[in-house]
Amino acid sequence: MKRRLLGVIDATTYHEDLEDLLTHRSLAALPFAGRYRIIDFVLSNMVNSGIRSVAIFPKMQYRSLMDHLGSGKNWDLNRKRDGLFFFPSPIVDTDGNRIGSFEHFAANLDFFYRSTQEYSIISNCYTIFNMDFRPILDWHSDSGCDITEIRHQDSGSMEMYLIKTSLLIKLIETRHETGYSCMKDVVNNRHPLYNICHYEYDGYAVMIDSIENYYNTSMNLLKTDYWKQLFIKEQPIFTKVKDEPPTKYIKGSFVKNAMIANGCLIGGTVENSIVSRGVKIGKGAVIKNCIIMQKCQIEENCYLDSVILDKDVKVDAGTHISGTTASPYVIRKGTKQGALMNT
Amino acid sequence: MAKKKCVAMLLAGGKGSRLNSLTKELAKPAVPFGGKYRIIDFTLSNCTNSGIDTVGVLTQYQPLLLNSYIGIGSAWDLDRKDGGVTVLPPYSESSEVKWYTGTASAIYQNMNYLKQYQPDYVLILSGDHIYKMNYESMLEYHIEKRADVTISLIEVPWAEASRFGIMNTNEDLRIVEFEEKPSSPKNNLASMGIYIFSWNILKEYLEMDDRNPESSHDFGKDVIPMLLEENKKLFAYPFKGYWKDVGTVQSLWEANMDLLNEECELDLFDHDWRIYSVNPNQPPQYISSDAIVRESLINEGCTINGEIEKSVLFQGVSVGSGSTIKESVIMPDAVIGSNCLIERAIVPFDVKIPDGTVIRSFEDEIILVTEEMLSGLYSAF
Repeated sequence: MKRRLLGVIDATTYHEDLEDLLTHRSLAALPFAGRYRIIDFVLSNMVNSGIRSVAIFPKMQYRSLMDHLGSGKNWDLNRKRDGLFFFPSPIVDTDGNRIGSFEHFAANLDFFYRSTQEYSIISNCYTIFNMDFRPILDWHSDSGCDITEIRHQDSGSMEMYLIKTSLLIKLIETRHETGYSCMKDVVNNRHPLYNICHYEYDGYAVMIDSIENYYNTSMNLLKTDYWKQLFIKEQPIFTKVKDEPPTKYIKGSFVKNAMIANGCLIGGTVENSIVSRGVKIGKGAVIKNCIIMQKCQIEENCYLDSVILDKDVKVDAGTHISGTTASPYVIRKGTKQGALMNT
Repeated sequence: MAKKKCVAMLLAGGKGSRLNSLTKELAKPAVPFGGKYRIIDFTLSNCTNSGIDTVGVLTQYQPLLLNSYIGIGSAWDLDRKDGGVTVLPPYSESSEVKWYTGTASAIYQNMNYLKQYQPDYVLILSGDHIYKMNYESMLEYHIEKRADVTISLIEVPWAEASRFGIMNTNEDLRIVEFEEKPSSPKNNLASMGIYIFSWNILKEYLEMDDRNPESSHDFGKDVIPMLLEENKKLFAYPFKGYWKDVGTVQSLWEANMDLLNEECELDLFDHDWRIYSVNPNQPPQYISSDAIVRESLINEGCTINGEIEKSVLFQGVSVGSGSTIKESVIMPDAVIGSNCLIERAIVPFDVKIPDGTVIRSFEDEIILVTEEMLSGLYSAF
């Protein structure tokens, strides 16, 4: 099969509203749905769409992202030709939220010169969706578009762009003359020389840009309608495998309406919650409306309601912590919560 | 090729006939166990965790699934530049096809594989058993005892002793007598089918065994007795811990139920001795608001709408609403419809149980569900 499409993921985005969850990681590496990182969705979509060469452009705090992606093996991207490429930004101080910064691409122009794929798709790293890009590419080339912006009825621009790789190279090379600094500039300026199209995507897609939005999108996973649109057997979302055993429910456990990843030991009550890999929940503990990230340890008789527990949080026995579903309480990574601290 | 101190040979040709339809299309080492694993995962993980990076896996019976499952060994970190895992099926020589007729002949026919690594020691393993064991400690023991052969042994219940190879030792743990499946055992110390041979002894005796037309070419029946007769130094290596030969439907079910025990000796959660497996990469399990889960082991990719009690569910299993699963083992991708009752049964992979089906065992015997059984059930209505 002809390899027509090159994947480009801009992983530089930082949202201040998510600060509490981003002190140790980039947005792309934010844990989601119990076992994934946000970037897994776009990356898996690319792989499932037949893309065999993906370039990731990260900026600060990319240690956790690199650790997660490794050689790309879990996405079948550890290839002799093509595969996964990682281009950290040489520029520390650039404007934060421009998807597809030409300055950042320019520092790695050789990669684009060497790529043989006729088209490129440039995407943000923080959308939760399960999309096949192939029909959009067909639509794009059949409609004679130069640039296609993928849009969504709820969120407007999805910050995903299809473009001929040669035109992308030209835009990068001429960025100083044209004043275009990113794909958004080109699309919004509606340059008369280029035929700019919009593709309306009507599937499920959410861009994660605040704690509230992160929490609600996570909780929606507990509704089968949403869940079914994200986890499709033929289009799996790949992630780093962890070799965790199956989850063990011990005597006294009571679980309903929950999404629970592998490697957990559950001795308490879990309701309306997302529990990530390797979490321990002690006997008599009650977890409601929570997102519990990897390897948290919740001791006996704790009560947690509407709390987001970041990775590696330890909660001492008998601790009570509550937020509200409208404004969940966020506990930062690696901290220890005692019974007397939040009363 | 680089010299290796110790090479493992894993016998994975076991047919497991007493597992009935479960092993109709796959070898016993490939039988699913523990909600996620296949039996062979335990031995392969033990190798990796013991620092053994060169493993020959001898397959014969129904090898297709096993071969593709093992692949290049990356799931167990055995995809190595030097050594790693090599699947060794029987092959034909210019004059004849040589099936593996016994455990000893299987190893003998792969002497060329072993020779290329010039090993000092060869570890012989069976892919049929569930246990966690440090082979490195056993090797140290073998070296320390200056043994020719070391055999690991475990105490088994007296009633079961006649199913095993039984060893009688002196107080130094030197083996003085070895009886393969004795009708009236003198001892309850059973061989676990794990041997460490010093290379020269293995080579010499396998050649000798091959020349013996009377031999059935089996380690327990032929090679070990021959070594004892010639007064070679055979030592017993006592093993304490969980070890199970899941030879029957009943024992496979029991071993799965053992995992639900909070005090289970076989700790799958030990990060220092991981049991590796090919990861199915499925979304986390979804426990709906209609579901109740009690004392169970459930893997990723499951969708639970019913009531689960004291059961083991493998990846991709779905359970419809109003259904109850009790003291059962549900293998990968089985689909249980709505309003079913399944009690004390094993449901094999991919089996679809129609709505309203009742399968329960009132006796001690565990039911192994088959497609034939289900079509029988429905033609009766």
